[in-house]
Amino acid sequence: MKSDAANITEAIVGFTQFARQNGLNVGIQETQEALHAARIGLLAERIDFQHALRLLFCQSPEERRRFDELYAQFWQLGVTRPIEDKKPVTEPAQVTKKGTGSVVFMGRNRQPGADEEEDGQHVSGANAEERLRKMDFARLTDVEAALLEELARKLFSQMTLRLRRRYKEGRRTGPLHLRRIIRKGLGSGGDMINLFRKSPRPRRQRLIVLLDVSGSMDKYSFFLLRFIVALRENFRQLEAFIFSTTLLRITPAIQHQYLDQLLVTLSQQVDNWSGGTKIGECLQTFNEQFGKRTLNGSPTVVILSDGLDTGPPELLATELEKIRRRSRKVIWLNPLKGSPVYQPLARGMKAALPSVTTFRSAHSLDSLLELEGILAQV
Amino acid sequence: MQPFLPDSPKDIVSSLEKQGYITDDELATALFLLIRLGKPCLLEGPPGVGKTEIALALAHLLDTDLIRLQCYEGLDVNAAVYEWNYQKQLLGIKLQESEQLSLSEKEAHIFGPDYLLKRPLLQSITHPKRPVLLIDEIDRADEEFEAYLLELLSAFQISIPELGTIRATHKPFVILTSNRTRELSDALKRRCLYHWIDYPDLVKEMTIVKKRLPDIEIDLLGQVVGFVQKLRKRKLVKMPGVSETIDWAESLLALGFSQLTDEAIDQTLGCILKSIDDINLVKAGNP
Repeated sequence: MKSDAANITEAIVGFTQFARQNGLNVGIQETQEALHAARIGLLAERIDFQHALRLLFCQSPEERRRFDELYAQFWQLGVTRPIEDKKPVTEPAQVTKKGTGSVVFMGRNRQPGADEEEDGQHVSGANAEERLRKMDFARLTDVEAALLEELARKLFSQMTLRLRRRYKEGRRTGPLHLRRIIRKGLGSGGDMINLFRKSPRPRRQRLIVLLDVSGSMDKYSFFLLRFIVALRENFRQLEAFIFSTTLLRITPAIQHQYLDQLLVTLSQQVDNWSGGTKIGECLQTFNEQFGKRTLNGSPTVVILSDGLDTGPPELLATELEKIRRRSRKVIWLNPLKGSPVYQPLARGMKAALPSVTTFRSAHSLDSLLELEGILAQV
Repeated sequence: MQPFLPDSPKDIVSSLEKQGYITDDELATALFLLIRLGKPCLLEGPPGVGKTEIALALAHLLDTDLIRLQCYEGLDVNAAVYEWNYQKQLLGIKLQESEQLSLSEKEAHIFGPDYLLKRPLLQSITHPKRPVLLIDEIDRADEEFEAYLLELLSAFQISIPELGTIRATHKPFVILTSNRTRELSDALKRRCLYHWIDYPDLVKEMTIVKKRLPDIEIDLLGQVVGFVQKLRKRKLVKMPGVSETIDWAESLLALGFSQLTDEAIDQTLGCILKSIDDINLVKAGNP
C-alpha cells in the first residue's frame, strides 16, 4: 500500500504526461515545478492547484482553453489516454502531409479556349530566357513552366541577395559612437582624434503578403507563392496569408522544405475555393483576427490579386482603407495588368484603388523582379 | 529577510484588496508562485485591464522598490542594461593627465563602477533589496532584445566587457506584460508563468471602480459599469479598458451627474471611446 504523498506525486506526473500527449508543451521542468507547487501548500484548495498547473503549463489563451478540457477529463472523468479525435493544437494545422494530389497550378488544368490571344512569342531577337522572363504565366506550356521555375529560383535568390546587401551601406552616417571614441582616445590622452560612428541598425522591414488563390488566379498562384518564399528569406518578419472565400494564415508553412506540401494542400482545396472570391470579407477577417498583431510598426502590405471580387465593393474599400491607415504602403499586384489593354474596371479593383499606394502588374517573372526596386525602399 | 511571505493565494487576494487592488484567485496564484518559485510571470491581455498596476501593487505588498523598464521598438542594451557616463569619463581623463599613471591604470579607472550608469535591468540585479522588476509591453521590443532578456532571466547575470560579469545579489521578482501585438518567442514563454488577464465581469468591475471612487453612488456605478460591459460586447475598434471605466465614472462625478442620462453620455463619451468610428457607431444606436 502506497502512502498518500506517493499517490499524489504519481497522479501529478500522470497528468503532465497526459497533457503532453495531448499537445501541451510540458517538459520535465514543468513537471518539477508542478510538484513543487503541490509541496508549498497549493494542494489544499483544489481550484488553486488547477490554477497553478494552468499557469505553469500554458503559453497562450488557446492553450488555456485546451488545458481546461484536459484537466476536467483527467481529474474528473478519469481519462488517462490521449484523446484520439482531437488533434493537438499546433500552428500549421492546415498543412497536412497525406496524399500527393496533382498540382493544378500553372495552367495544367487549363480550360480550353480560355485565352485565344497570341502569346509573347513575337518578342523578336530575344533569346529563350529573355522571352520566358517576359511571358505571361497564364500562357506557359508545361515544358516552359518547368524551365521558368528553374529560372525563377535562380533570379529570386539573386534578388534577395541584392536586397540584403543594401542594408550594408551607409557606414558614414549615424550618431557618434561615444563609447568607442573615448576608448580609442585614451591612447592620445583623451583627445578625440578619430571619430567613430554607429552604423545605422538595419531597418527591420516588415512585410505582410496577402495572396489570392481563387480559381481566377490559379495560373499565377504557383509563381507568386514561390516569390513569397523568396521574400521570406529577406524579410525576417514576413506574415503571409492566402485567401479566396476564406482567409488562411500560412506564415509557418512558407519555408522551402514545406513548399511542396503547401502546394499539394492548396491544389486540393482549389476546387472548393473556386466558387468566387470574397476579397472584402477576407480583408475584414484579416483586420479582425490579425490586424492588431500584424499591423503595428507600419509594415508594408502586398496584395496579390486580380481584384475580381464577388462581394460588395464597399466592404472591400472600407477594409482596405483600414489597412492602409496602419501601414506604410499598400502594394497591389494584379496579374491582369500585364495586358496592355487592361483597365481597372472590375468593381472590386475600382473600389480598392483609392487605398492602394502602388499598383503594379505581376504576370511575368520580369514584372515580379521589378518589385525589387520598390521593396528596397520599404 | 522577507517581510511578506504568503501561505496561500488567499493571503494575497486579501492583502492586495487592502491596498485597493481587486484580484481573482488565479492571478493571486500566479503571484504566489512568482514569490515562492521565483519564476518570472508573463501577463498578457487587452490594454487597460491592470497589467502594469499589478506590479505596483506587488511592490507595495512586498514593501520593496519597483524598477520599471518600458519597452519600445529599437530598445537596446544601452538603454536597458547599462551605459558609460561619457561626460564624466572625458572629465576623468583630463583630470588624470597630470598623474603618473600607466595607460592600463587609467583605463581601469575610467571604466570603473563610478562611471557606470545603471539602467533598469542592471539596477534590478544589483539592488540592495529584492525588487519587483516590471518589463512593460515586451511585445513592443525587438526580437533581438527578447533573446537577450532570455539570458538575463535564466542566469540573472550581466556581462559588461570592460568590467566583467555582474551577478545578481538578489533575484528580482520579474513581471512581464504584453498586449499581444505580436507573438513572443516560445523560449521566453517557457521561462515564465503565463497568465491571461481578461476584462472583469460586472460585479468585479463594479468593485474595482467602487474601490477607486468610494464616493460614487451605487445607481450611477451600476449604470456606468453596465454600459461599458455592453460596449465590450460590440465590435469596436478600440475596446474600453477598466482604466477607461474609472476615468469615465470620475468625469461624471466631477460634472455632477448622478444618473447616466443621454445628455451625460453625449458629453462624456470621449472618456471611454477613443476612436471617432466607435463614437459614431455608439451614438447611432445606444446599446
